[in-house]
Amino acid sequence: MHAFDYLEPVTVAEACAMLADHGPRARPLAGGTDLLIQMEMGKVRPEAVVHLGRIEALRGIEWDPQAGLRISAGVTLREVETHPIIRERYPALATAAQVVGSVQIRNLGTLVGNLCNASPSADTSPALLALDGQVEIASPTESFTIPVAEFWTGPGQMVLQPGQLVTGVRLPVPTPSLRTWYYKLAVRKAMDLAMVGVCVALEPRNGSARRVRIALGAVAPTCLRARHAEQLAEQGEITNGCLEAIAEAAVAATSPISDQRASADYRRAMVGSLTRRAFTQLLR
Amino acid sequence: MAEFAVIGKPVPRVDAVDKVTGAARYAADVNLPGQLWAGFVHSPHPHARIKRIDTSKAECIPGVVKILTQDALGAGATQETIDTVHGMRLSQSLFAVEVVRYQGEKIAAVCAISPEICKDAVEAIEVEYERLPAVDEVEQAIRPEAPVIREDAKEVEAPTGCPWANLGMFRNVCQEAHFSAGDVEAGFAEADVIVEGIYRIPRVHQTYIEPHACVARVDPSGKVTVWTSTQSIFAIRSGVASSLGIPQSNINVVGQTIGGGFGGKFGVLVHPYAVLLAQVTGRPVKIVYSREEEMLDGRPAPGAVIWVKTGIKRDGTVTARQAVGLWDCGHVPGASIYATGRIVGVYNFKNIKYDAYGIYTNKPGTSAYRAPGAPQGSYASEANLNQCAAAIGMDPIALRLQNMAQDGDQRVIDRKPLSRVAFKETLLAAAKQAGWFEREKKPNHGWGVAIGEWHHGAGPGSAVVTLMDDGTLKVFSGAMDITGTDTGMGQIAAEVVGVPWENVRVIRGDTDSAPYATGSGGSVVLFSMGNAVKRAAENLREKMLALAAQHLETTVDSLEAVRAADESGRVIPRVQRRGQPEESVTLQELAQIALRTTGGPLVGTGTFASEPSHPLISAQIVEVEVDPETGVMEIKRLVGALDVGRAINPYEVEGQMQGGATQGLSWGWMEEMQFGQGRMLNTHLSDYRIPTIQDLPAIESVYLEVPSEHGPFGVKGIGEPPIVPTPAALHLAIHDATGAWVNDLPATPERIWRALHRNRDEGKG
Repeated sequence: MHAFDYLEPVTVAEACAMLADHGPRARPLAGGTDLLIQMEMGKVRPEAVVHLGRIEALRGIEWDPQAGLRISAGVTLREVETHPIIRERYPALATAAQVVGSVQIRNLGTLVGNLCNASPSADTSPALLALDGQVEIASPTESFTIPVAEFWTGPGQMVLQPGQLVTGVRLPVPTPSLRTWYYKLAVRKAMDLAMVGVCVALEPRNGSARRVRIALGAVAPTCLRARHAEQLAEQGEITNGCLEAIAEAAVAATSPISDQRASADYRRAMVGSLTRRAFTQLLR
Repeated sequence: MAEFAVIGKPVPRVDAVDKVTGAARYAADVNLPGQLWAGFVHSPHPHARIKRIDTSKAECIPGVVKILTQDALGAGATQETIDTVHGMRLSQSLFAVEVVRYQGEKIAAVCAISPEICKDAVEAIEVEYERLPAVDEVEQAIRPEAPVIREDAKEVEAPTGCPWANLGMFRNVCQEAHFSAGDVEAGFAEADVIVEGIYRIPRVHQTYIEPHACVARVDPSGKVTVWTSTQSIFAIRSGVASSLGIPQSNINVVGQTIGGGFGGKFGVLVHPYAVLLAQVTGRPVKIVYSREEEMLDGRPAPGAVIWVKTGIKRDGTVTARQAVGLWDCGHVPGASIYATGRIVGVYNFKNIKYDAYGIYTNKPGTSAYRAPGAPQGSYASEANLNQCAAAIGMDPIALRLQNMAQDGDQRVIDRKPLSRVAFKETLLAAAKQAGWFEREKKPNHGWGVAIGEWHHGAGPGSAVVTLMDDGTLKVFSGAMDITGTDTGMGQIAAEVVGVPWENVRVIRGDTDSAPYATGSGGSVVLFSMGNAVKRAAENLREKMLALAAQHLETTVDSLEAVRAADESGRVIPRVQRRGQPEESVTLQELAQIALRTTGGPLVGTGTFASEPSHPLISAQIVEVEVDPETGVMEIKRLVGALDVGRAINPYEVEGQMQGGATQGLSWGWMEEMQFGQGRMLNTHLSDYRIPTIQDLPAIESVYLEVPSEHGPFGVKGIGEPPIVPTPAALHLAIHDATGAWVNDLPATPERIWRALHRNRDEGKG
């Protein structure tokens, strides 16, 4: 690995200032399960690595029955997967966190790290999309939130400017009737990257559905929502014919590539199959 | 069956605590004062002409000590590597000269004071290439328009009747093997049904957990010492000696604890470079390969494309079999292409013909991987046989039993009579354990069966068993322990001499101190080195009894060795007059007496060269569940049966059976070195998939003991066979679950999905 400056801020403001100082040549480090591998492989060569582990404010999961859930940037995937409130109220997120890498990786890797790696195959990203997640961003001058759906701009790319740091993720309180489903299509049960990830959230109402979210992973440059398919699903009773149209619309939202993990054909077909399966399961 | 005190007991492995606690010392743990680190510039292109190598920037980096290229060595430095353990000879220059023929080929070596500086220097070396067309698939490489990869490539006539016959000639051929018995054409004419298929088996890496590593030191006198991870310290010694022109007696190789080899750690790979750089710099040099380097510049198992055609009658009589195998050798010959002959297997098939070819491609050379060639050849053979059973509507086990050879039959391939084989019994044992004949058909569930034959090797070696002055034993040899054989050798010595297994220490020497030992591979260790240890222990026992007879003033014949426990439960091994415990001498006393007699310390020696072994089979039954929409497969159950001759240690036997089956599942299900335009696409373990423990079923192992005439206590070599049948068993199970044959390995979810899709399109689903 190349030589770099290793910085350890103790406040968010300090971290933002350090990130601003080094501009694009700085990288924040949380669990390091993506960053260190990329550095070891020479894919990224940051001048400065800003370690976030000493920032007290970046720890913890906060639950408020009115405001919803807040997961700080330092929270590990293991904490997410085992958290009782998340398991009860956001099961798709708990499931998604649970299928990342291995226990060892999840003990180090963070949810926000998974988000900020901006990989289209990130397991937790479709769940954050389907749950209407908001990304909390701090900079030396201000702090604001944006929808998860607006966060990524391409593989490994996001809207963050130099000096900006993601401090956490917020999820609204789920309605009592909300049901969610996440499926990771992979060869192995652990230590694998998704060939396709499908997360569907909806409120079932006598054969029809409201508040439908269809979030897809590993089938486009970023994780995305199949919005046209969502609209189709909210138009009335979901018959078999209608389900076919929803699945087709979900497939139409994708632009997969063929790579060593799967072909584009297979990915498209699986988006269709898994979307159908999700609705069948959730409306049952 | 004879009663044994130590043999057949599941004693814990002698190396277990050190490995579990991290105390074991692997090659990468060796560090010497003043040590330098070496790394390589590997070609990023599979086929290219080297236009220019500029090391000037790298040389300016502080801490860089030496950079070597073929130019620096001189064009004449093309060396022959001779592996005397395997009788293999390979002529290859240390670095690519003018042309690189695979991605990963070494262009230059850098030596620096730290691994980080070394890596920076490697990146600072500029190489200009002129890219040449590359070929990564054998079916492309044989075509008339394919680039010729090496000047010595042959162009041979394509065999008639095979799917590639219309090419007329095969290009880029570097090896050939042909066999014919009976009359296949007449056989095919007799058949009711012809079943043929092309079976593609990918190249896989041995994926040992520990990449290659070594440290080399050259003393001022020129004496070379190499610490390394290897399956054979003597093969490393001969390899370094021949490749660098150093007298063998000037080299000492120290084998560290090995983190897996599976056939991929026999000969030299990084060793000559470490020695050469240590000679040039006068300082110790360390090389540790990365996983990526293992993938790009290791010596994996060859892939193969095998066409098999079988003629069969409705009553299950196989009338003829023919095969053509195209084996992917990479840029040098060396694949076990004769394994195409697995179409004969352990069956009494009369009419057989095969033609096998080693084909050059722009990939690294290959080497052994657990039962070299057998998983590939057996997969094609057994998968096709299962398709034959399906075609005539016969139970695949019944079909095998009907055609299987037994004691007294002559093997088709070499006309040798079979003895002490248990093919049918092994297959039936697996069937019984799995409940094959009582199985129920559940939706999306499938069962498969296959067998894999193996004829283990034998190799020369010697061992020394010493009675230590505290009455314990020391077993000393130069054999590397890759699978738990130290534990088995300790048990053999304990059994023969008559001491508890805890009283034996198994010590490994280096090439300077230890007598010659064969390499640890080919399922030879417990058969060959086990015999050497047994003979050494018998030799020691004779000496002990002679001394005890003298001491007790009796004859040797009237003595017996006993390991009776004393009042406190402590076992005190002793020699006594038969049935008369009061007239006895403990081994500790005997050792002390020996020190005071003219004979001196009691040392037994034993040697072994070669004796015939018996072919054996591994039979496996696998049950799977397939999601027909996604192709995702779960392995529900795997039952393996094996004729082991004699299980010295049941734990070790089960470990071998489970490990082999896991590697077989991996090859059949998810493992594959993927290439595109000559470049490897999955050089890291994230995308080069092998199963995790979560993906595996509990593997059930049953073993039979039909003793070998020649193995110690009847031992047969069993390390390799358990990998052989698994992919073919899986192939049938997938078909049973889905109705689709997935002939190309591995049967990934996508391949299964495609096969189902194809079936649906054709209206079969």
